[in-house]
Amino acid sequence: MAKPFNIAHCFISGRNRPSRAVLWGMLSFMLIFLFLLALSVGSVSIPLETTLDILMHKGEDLVLHRIIWDLRFPKIFTALLAGAALSVSGLQMQTLFRNALAGPFVLGINAGAGLGVALVVLGTGAGITLMGNAGLIAQLSLFLASILGAASVLIVVLSLSQRVQNNVTLLIVGLIFGMMVNSLVSVLIYFSEPEEIQSYLIWTFGSFRGVTWDKLAVLAPAILSGLMIALTTVKPLNALLLGETYARSMGLSLKSARRLIIMSTAILAGSVTAFCGPIGFLGIAVPHLCRGLFRTSDHRVLFPAVLLIGAALALISEIAAQLPGTQQTLPLNAITALLGGPVILWVILKRRIAVNA
Amino acid sequence: MGAEIIKERDGARPEGFSVHPDTSVSRLMFRRNLFGSLLALAFLLSAHGAQGEEVQTSEGCVSNYDQNKDYFPDKLKVDHAEGFEVSYHKHYKRVKVAAPWKEGGESFEYVLVQCGTPAPKGFEQAQIVTVPAKTLIVLSTTYFYFVEGLGLLDRLIGIANFKRVNSPAILKLIARKKIAEVGRNVDLNLEYTARLNPDIVMTYGTGNPYRDSYGPLMQFGIRVGVFAEYMEPTPLGRAEWIKFMALFFNREKKAALLFDNIARQYEAVKQGTKKVATRPTVFTGKSIDGTWYMSGGNSYMAAFLKDAGAHFLWSDNTSRRSLHLDFESVLKKAADADYWLNTGLWKSLAEGRAEDARYAFFAAFKAGRIYNNNALLNSEGGNDYWERGIVNPHLVLADMIKIFHPELLPDHKLEWYRPLE
Repeated sequence: MAKPFNIAHCFISGRNRPSRAVLWGMLSFMLIFLFLLALSVGSVSIPLETTLDILMHKGEDLVLHRIIWDLRFPKIFTALLAGAALSVSGLQMQTLFRNALAGPFVLGINAGAGLGVALVVLGTGAGITLMGNAGLIAQLSLFLASILGAASVLIVVLSLSQRVQNNVTLLIVGLIFGMMVNSLVSVLIYFSEPEEIQSYLIWTFGSFRGVTWDKLAVLAPAILSGLMIALTTVKPLNALLLGETYARSMGLSLKSARRLIIMSTAILAGSVTAFCGPIGFLGIAVPHLCRGLFRTSDHRVLFPAVLLIGAALALISEIAAQLPGTQQTLPLNAITALLGGPVILWVILKRRIAVNA
Repeated sequence: MGAEIIKERDGARPEGFSVHPDTSVSRLMFRRNLFGSLLALAFLLSAHGAQGEEVQTSEGCVSNYDQNKDYFPDKLKVDHAEGFEVSYHKHYKRVKVAAPWKEGGESFEYVLVQCGTPAPKGFEQAQIVTVPAKTLIVLSTTYFYFVEGLGLLDRLIGIANFKRVNSPAILKLIARKKIAEVGRNVDLNLEYTARLNPDIVMTYGTGNPYRDSYGPLMQFGIRVGVFAEYMEPTPLGRAEWIKFMALFFNREKKAALLFDNIARQYEAVKQGTKKVATRPTVFTGKSIDGTWYMSGGNSYMAAFLKDAGAHFLWSDNTSRRSLHLDFESVLKKAADADYWLNTGLWKSLAEGRAEDARYAFFAAFKAGRIYNNNALLNSEGGNDYWERGIVNPHLVLADMIKIFHPELLPDHKLEWYRPLE
C-alpha cells in the first residue's frame, strides 16, 4: 500500500483537524440526515409533516403512503446496502492487491456477474426483463447467475494467483479476463432481440429504484452475510498491509485469508450487480476518501468508515439521480462517475507527484 | 425494362464501382454476378404482374431528355406529416427530412433525379438518388405495408430480420428466397448489404451513432432513406410517410390514393368520439429498473388517445418522444387512472406483478383495465401492430374506442389490443 492519502486537507485545515470521535459523530449525523432527506425528497413533493404522519401510519392518502413505504424505503435501503457493499469490497481489493486503483470490478468480478446476468436475460430468448419476469424464481436465478458468474471468474483468477505470486500481475490477469468475459456478453447482445438488448442496456446504467421489498428480501441477507465474512478479514488485511512476507511470518494463513476476502467480494459485488447493475466508481473512490478523512490505514477503523461513507455516497448519488422536484430521472452511473471520478483522478495525480518526489 | 434490370443488378457494371470505391466490395460484387442474374431473372418473372397497372414514363427511364418537360405530372401534397417536405423541379424532386429524431439535430436532404435525365448541380449536401429506384431494402417492419401498398414487393430485396415478420406477403417472399436478411443497428451486416447493392435502404435514426444503421450505410455510398414516422405527433402523420417512400419510386398517385382512403376512414371513426360525455383517464408504458417509459404528450400515441375519447394524463407534456419518469411520479398521477395501455411484453397481469409487485398499486391493474397492443404476435414475438397497424390507424383507433367507449362500436372486435388477465 502506498502511503495513506490525505484528503482531509481538502476541506479541513490541518490545525483544527477534528478528532475521530467528532468525525464518527459527524458521519452518523450525516447518514441520518441523508436518510431523512431521501425519504422526504423525490419526484413527488410530499410536505415534511405529511411524511412524518405517514411514517407514524397516520396518513390518509394511500398513494403517498405507498410512495414512502414501497418506493422510497426499499430504494433507500438498497442504496445504503449497495454503497456499503461496493465500498467494503473496494477496500478489500485495494489492500489485497496493494493497488490504489483496485476495486470490486477490476478483477473481472463485475464482468463475471454481468455475464451471468446476460446469460439469464439475453440467453433465455423469451424477452425476460431484468428485474424478473416470473417472480421469485426469476429473481433467484438472476441473482445466482450473477454470483456464480462473479465467483467463477474469481476462482479462475484465484487459481492463477496460486502460480502468480505477484499481485500486480494478478491484477492484470483479472483485467484481461474481465475483457474476455465482456466480449462474450457482447456476442450474446449481438444475437438478441431489441427488447432484450434494451433491458440489458438499461441495466448497465445502474439503478437502486428497481428493487422492491421482495427483491430486498434476497439482496439484504446476501449483502449482510458478505459483510460478516468481510468483517473477519479485518485482521488479515491489516497484516497484508505490511507485506505478504510479514503476514506470513506472523503465522497468518495467506491462502485462507485470500479465499475469505475473495469470497466476500464475490458475494458483495455479485449480489449488488445482479440487482442494481454494474455501479461504478464508488468501490474505488470511497476507501480513499476514508483513508484521507481518518488519516489511517488501519482496517479496524477503515472498515466501519468505508461502510458509512459508502452508504452515504450511494444515497447522495441516488438523491441526485432522481432530480428532486422533476419527474425525470438520470442514470445512476452518471452520478457516481461524477462524484467518484474526481477522487480517482486526485489519487492518480497525487501518486505521480509522490513518485516524482 | 427487363434488360434494364439485369444491367442494373449486374455487379460487374463499371458504374457500380464508383458508388463503392472500396475494392474488397468490388471483388464481392464480381462474385455476385451469377447470383445477381438469377435474382434478376426471378425478379422479371415476379415483376410481370405488377407492371401492368402503371405503364407510364414515370415508371421507367427517359430516353430523350427534354429540359422543358415536367417529368413528374403527379405531385404530392403532404397534409398531416410534419417530418418531410418535397418540392418538384421538372426532372428532379427535392426532399428534406428536417428533424428525424429531434429539432436542431441532423437533417437529411435528397435530390431524386428522374432516370435518364442529368443530375442537377449544386446539391453537394444531398443524397442524389435516381428514380424510380429499382431495388430497396427496408430495415423496419413499420414500412412493410408501405412497400406492399405501393406495389413495390417485387423491388424489395432485403429486410432486417426474418424472425419477426407477420406480413403474409413478406413471409411469402422469404419462403421463396426472394429477399435477404441483413440485420440492422448493431448487427447490420454491411458487407452483405453492400453486396446486394440496393438502390435505396429505408431505415430510421435515433441520434445514437453507435446504434443507427444509416451512418455506416451512407459512408459506404449506399443511399439511405431516413424515416421519422415515429416522431409524427399524429397517427395520420405517421401513416402519411407512405408518400415519402412513394417519392423514390414515382408512385405519388398511388400513395395519395391510399393515404386519402386511410385519412377518410380515420376521420370517420374519430367522429364517433366527438361528443363523448366522459373521457376516462389513461396512462401508458411501464417501468424498467425504476424508470418509467411513458408516451410523450405530443406523440402520435397521445393523439390516438385523445381521438379515442380518452384523457391521457400526460397530455399537457410537449414531447414527441417517450418520457423517462420516476416511478413515484407516475404512481402519484396515475394511481386512480381508469385505463393503462401498452405494457411492453406482458401477456398477463401475473407477468406484470412478477416484474414489480408495485404495479398492483394502480387501480387500473386491480380492476383489470390493462390493455396491451400485442394480441397478434408471431412465434418469435414479432408484433403485427408494428406492421399492419401503421397503415390502419383507423383500426387502431377503433380498438381504443372499443376499450374506452365500447357502446360506440358494439360490432368492432379488438384487433391488436387485448385485455390482460
